[in-house]
Amino acid sequence: MKIPKLLQFAVLVLIAYGIFKAPGWFGVPIPGSLIMMYMFFAVVTILLVMTSTEKSAQELFTPIKALVDDPSKAMTRNVVFAVIPIIGAVIVFNQVKPSFEAPVELRATHPAPPSTLRAFNKSFNIGTLENPMRKLAKEDPAKFKELVKEGGVVYYRNCFYCHGDKLDSKGHFAQGFNPLPLPFQGKDTIAQLQESFVFWRISTGGPGLPKESTPWLSSMPIWKDLLTEDEIWKAILFIYDYTGNVPRSWEK
Amino acid sequence: MRKRAILLAIMLAAAPGLALAGGDAAKGKEIYEKRCWWCHGAKGAGDGPAAEFLNPPPRDFTSGVYKWKSTPFDEIIPTDEDFVKMVKGDINHNNIAGWNGMNGTSMPGWGDMLGTQDVNDVIAFIKSLAELGAPQKPAISISGAVSSSKESLERGQKVFKDRCTECHGEEGRGDGTKKLKDDLGFRTWPRNLTKPFTFRVSNKAKDIYTRITVGIPGTQMPSFADPSSQKKLTDEERWDVANYVASIEAPYKKPTESTVINALRVEGEVPDKHDDPAWEKAKYTSFYMVPQLIAAERHFTPSLDTISVKAVYNDKEVAMLVAWDDRTKSLPGNAKAIEIADGDVFEDAVAVQWPVTIPQESEKPYFGMGDAMLPVNIWYWKSESGAGQPQSFKLLNSKGIKDREERDPASVGLKYSAAYDKGTWRVVMKRPIKTGDASKDIQFEEGKFIPVAFAAWDGSNKEKGSKHEMTTWCWILMQPPTGSSVYVWPIIVGCIILGAELAWLKSTRGRKKTGE
Repeated sequence: MKIPKLLQFAVLVLIAYGIFKAPGWFGVPIPGSLIMMYMFFAVVTILLVMTSTEKSAQELFTPIKALVDDPSKAMTRNVVFAVIPIIGAVIVFNQVKPSFEAPVELRATHPAPPSTLRAFNKSFNIGTLENPMRKLAKEDPAKFKELVKEGGVVYYRNCFYCHGDKLDSKGHFAQGFNPLPLPFQGKDTIAQLQESFVFWRISTGGPGLPKESTPWLSSMPIWKDLLTEDEIWKAILFIYDYTGNVPRSWEK
Repeated sequence: MRKRAILLAIMLAAAPGLALAGGDAAKGKEIYEKRCWWCHGAKGAGDGPAAEFLNPPPRDFTSGVYKWKSTPFDEIIPTDEDFVKMVKGDINHNNIAGWNGMNGTSMPGWGDMLGTQDVNDVIAFIKSLAELGAPQKPAISISGAVSSSKESLERGQKVFKDRCTECHGEEGRGDGTKKLKDDLGFRTWPRNLTKPFTFRVSNKAKDIYTRITVGIPGTQMPSFADPSSQKKLTDEERWDVANYVASIEAPYKKPTESTVINALRVEGEVPDKHDDPAWEKAKYTSFYMVPQLIAAERHFTPSLDTISVKAVYNDKEVAMLVAWDDRTKSLPGNAKAIEIADGDVFEDAVAVQWPVTIPQESEKPYFGMGDAMLPVNIWYWKSESGAGQPQSFKLLNSKGIKDREERDPASVGLKYSAAYDKGTWRVVMKRPIKTGDASKDIQFEEGKFIPVAFAAWDGSNKEKGSKHEMTTWCWILMQPPTGSSVYVWPIIVGCIILGAELAWLKSTRGRKKTGE
């Protein structure tokens, strides 16, 4: 059986719409305005293809023409003519009706660090700074293991209420924060960073974020006021060790 | 670790009997020393480095007492299934998105990190800490379930009023009259039964029935199935109470994804008091609160968890109703308040924070009392500081925790009223939409998203000054009535399409007539 061209057209348009909507069902929706744009191109493309030959164009438009030409289709015509203006009106209404969604706040999650960091009465050059304890991993593994454990103690006395027992950002207070705390599990946070960056973020917290590309709205405390330099380095060893992540190193 | 778990999983799949064969305590110890000791302590005594920051405290495994079990009151050992739920997490706990651990505690579900055999190994190890064997008695039966009918709820309510209100409060908000401690001497607070998302297990009737029947070992929640107890209830009565408790949930108290308080425009006066019928149409938006753990003296063991807010306005004024459950009315110097409090009694309080200038861009003031560039207004109410003393209400202009100016609320027409009733504070704050001075006070505007943040203090939980609970920035929107203009464009477009259709129809008719 041959599928009528008009039905083919409708099915293809629906499939295109489904493809654009599909990411939304898995939690990463494409914004509505983008979908509108994609759909415009999709419809134009489908029309172009389907009208590429005289014959297929005719097949596509005949049933539409028949609506007005064929007196036996008067009833169908009346229904279609009534429904289309209503659909149009509804689409327009959805566009103009006032929206009361909270403003979207886009944030850069990996800000550019400053070149130097002042903390603990010292100046650190973030471009060259390394975790002074990292080298012990090779030089003295037993001592290193001990430092990691001490870092864990720092973590579980200071960080875990927000960043989580499992370092998965689901600490018992996490849901009260907006934006949510970041996880250390996975490959897209600390795995992408040098330890100097992490040291800077911990030391100066939310208020230490650069003034550009705001808003940050970060609730991260200024840890240099609450922890020692060594405690911060140890906590950094711990969060990499526990999650199996490796800090990025300076390319030599 | 993970590789081993996968390997084990493959082995287990090949030999299905093995999963039930129990765990290996030595392997469990290894996992425990990597994952668990931080809270539960090196020797399992509930005294890990994190313990002092946690309320409720982590379980002491050396005691062998477990709270969330389904074996009868005279069987101390939980079932294997109980243990698995405790360690692995349970989908029924899932009241907060992405969290299947025990609600209201820091115990997460470990099922995503530990495989079945890992969990069994850990269970074998923690059981060994108190030399627990297998339970001698099976889990209690839930086969006698009474369905939740009107009659069952009525019977349940009656039993509740008789047996439960002493601790759980008349309305079940946990505002009882009795100070509670667990066997280890830790302060415990009765569950607020209107907030099921804080239940450790779930608010399904069968789980509530289990708690009532088994009790919560180590706490003052007794078994109501114990024949030697004066409080004993029949099986049917326990199901009735379970049904009743499941029914008193107040869904609005559970925060949703929405961060917007929709202020409703009202005809006539904006209400002064919380019991004014003008509030009825406005809806609460609820927010999680977290203790202040950022600056100055920090707080880790909150007793308040959420705050609910609604707002109304007219041409001249805006009012907000701030409501939060607090188990204790904290009256400093009052014998009854002192008796039930944990430590010294301070005032209860609430604060509402606004940016002085509504941000044009997305840049808001620092959420902890503003910053030097972007100051905030704080409306700060405090309960009576002693018997016969007045409540206090202040207007603060703040540029950070160290830089604040105290002003007279009356100078800008800012008013309040507050009432405590059966475990809930309700505070109304009301101010003219505009004041004389835009450089010092927020000037409210219809149709704009205005940042707002909240803080609250429970004076019976050692909360004072910088020790309090708080939200981050939320939004309030004075939502203008939609009006008829939004219907104009759709109607015009509809008419244009219809006109085009008719024109088309007419043109074909014309064509036919001319014989084309």
